[in-house]
Amino acid sequence: MTDLLNQSSNSQFKFSREKILAFTLILPSLILVFITYLYPAIFTFVISFAEYDIIRLKIKKFIQFKNFEFLISNYFFTSSVLRTIYFGFLICVCTTILSFLIALLLNEKFIGKAFLRVMIVLPWAVPSVVSGVLWGQMFHADTGFLNALLYQLGVISGYKIWLADPLVALHVIAIAEIWKAIPFMTLFFLSGLQSLPSEVFEAAAVDGANVFQRFSNILFPLMLPIAIPLFLIQFVLAMKSFDTIFVLTRGGPGGGTTTLNYFIYQEAFETFNLGRASAAAYVLLIITLAVVLIPTISRFLIKFFWGNK
Amino acid sequence: MKKNLILKNFFIYFSALIVFLIMFFPLYGLILTSLQPENIIRSRNLSFFPTEIIFTHFAEVLKPNHISNIYEGIKNSLIVSFLTSFLCIILAFPAAYSLARLNLPAKNIILGTLISIYFLPTILFVIPLFVILVSYQLDDTILSLVVPYTAFTLPFVIWILKSFIDKLPVEVEEAAKIDGCSTLQLLIHIIFPLLRPGLIAAFIFAFILSWVEFLTPLIFTNNLKISTVALGLFRSTIDIKIGQQAAAAIITLIPVTILMIFFQQYITKVVLSGSDK
Repeated sequence: MTDLLNQSSNSQFKFSREKILAFTLILPSLILVFITYLYPAIFTFVISFAEYDIIRLKIKKFIQFKNFEFLISNYFFTSSVLRTIYFGFLICVCTTILSFLIALLLNEKFIGKAFLRVMIVLPWAVPSVVSGVLWGQMFHADTGFLNALLYQLGVISGYKIWLADPLVALHVIAIAEIWKAIPFMTLFFLSGLQSLPSEVFEAAAVDGANVFQRFSNILFPLMLPIAIPLFLIQFVLAMKSFDTIFVLTRGGPGGGTTTLNYFIYQEAFETFNLGRASAAAYVLLIITLAVVLIPTISRFLIKFFWGNK
Repeated sequence: MKKNLILKNFFIYFSALIVFLIMFFPLYGLILTSLQPENIIRSRNLSFFPTEIIFTHFAEVLKPNHISNIYEGIKNSLIVSFLTSFLCIILAFPAAYSLARLNLPAKNIILGTLISIYFLPTILFVIPLFVILVSYQLDDTILSLVVPYTAFTLPFVIWILKSFIDKLPVEVEEAAKIDGCSTLQLLIHIIFPLLRPGLIAAFIFAFILSWVEFLTPLIFTNNLKISTVALGLFRSTIDIKIGQQAAAAIITLIPVTILMIFFQQYITKVVLSGSDK
């Protein structure tokens, strides 16, 4: 009996010792994350209800929901919210489709595949400032390749100032972002494709299913569980994009390329209205969470109402 | 059947060419611009091949008093990126081991929180950090860059290392424990050497992510006392000399490109290790 007691208390002791060790090992990381994420997030939350004095670095006074009320009635803000959602959606749809196609290509056997893969991964390591410079030069009004090419092909009659048109400029930025986002998603799709059982496709081919049938009935449903998280992650990352906008257009012309992230930057570090910027940052956070959570919740609801199939 | 195969091959090589052109042409355009005299860049004769190669843009950019201040930028970026990667690994290695192998309560919640933080808008954390740094007069220092970079990259590095540790055989650790090896000894003498590919991959990721970071240095070095390569390059865009701008962009790009090409297998390994769960 005493033996048993001893043993159990001993294992209890060992058990908690391992827990303590586990915590000690992860604690430094958690502390750093706490200091740089959680505390600032709370701080931002508090000053989103206040007017902040940037010179004395103090909260001047609490103004309840005034910051949020101002934002909602501000045309620049509401249009940049809609623009951010459009921009994020556009980028992740294009990136997902293109990356999937490139991954399908890389899944085939051909000479020079290893080389092509390096070339495809390369844009990921390109600093976004460089990609901003690069696409800026590509679409440059006087020296850009695009103008020269289209002019000589006779598509345009004169050189166009691409970045002067807000709508065109927004899409130029989207192209730059898509170009940078393709590498990573392609790699993830490729590893997904390589983990698929090849027997299924062979069996389908024997059964006489053509390429399109094989794609829509086998490949597409099998890849969907990989594609959906990648799609959502890309959506979230695209809404965060800042560097390309800053380098290419600085939010202009006429605020036409100001996404929410850029709006927050301007409020915080150009007009130094930290309270308002914090409120806007929380709106961005809520949109981000919504993008991630809506599919999860809807999947849960579908399961709940239609049963687990 | 044979005709079909030829058609298929033709289709594959044709699409490979298109993909290559789309992904590589922008970089090629940048290289071309950096090597051509300004008057050729500005002329309206379209040419996709260099007619005259010069290196004066690079020479101009590398002069000590150039607007992009490239030497200082490279020096600072190297220091900051190395420190960040180093710190990340020191912090992430024990944390990843704890998450992968030890009996840590609420393991999945901790890992989930860490990873989801990575996707939250950076600007949310940058505003108060800026206020804190300014109030302690720590802005415009190497420290003001290394600490936030480390925190921003850490969740990702922990995730990479954890998925590599998950792949290691448990038997080795069990055998070592039976031989009386303490956890600390186990970590240093057994796991660390076994984990080398994972550590290299994590180091490269942290290095590249710090090298390309732009928003943080833009805000935290607001008095322009220290500069990074990304910032230096951005400053050169204020200038109208397109050739020099392209040359500065290429110099910024060289270190990360070398890392990418030499360690490509490690980067692919990260993706592969994460996907099979």
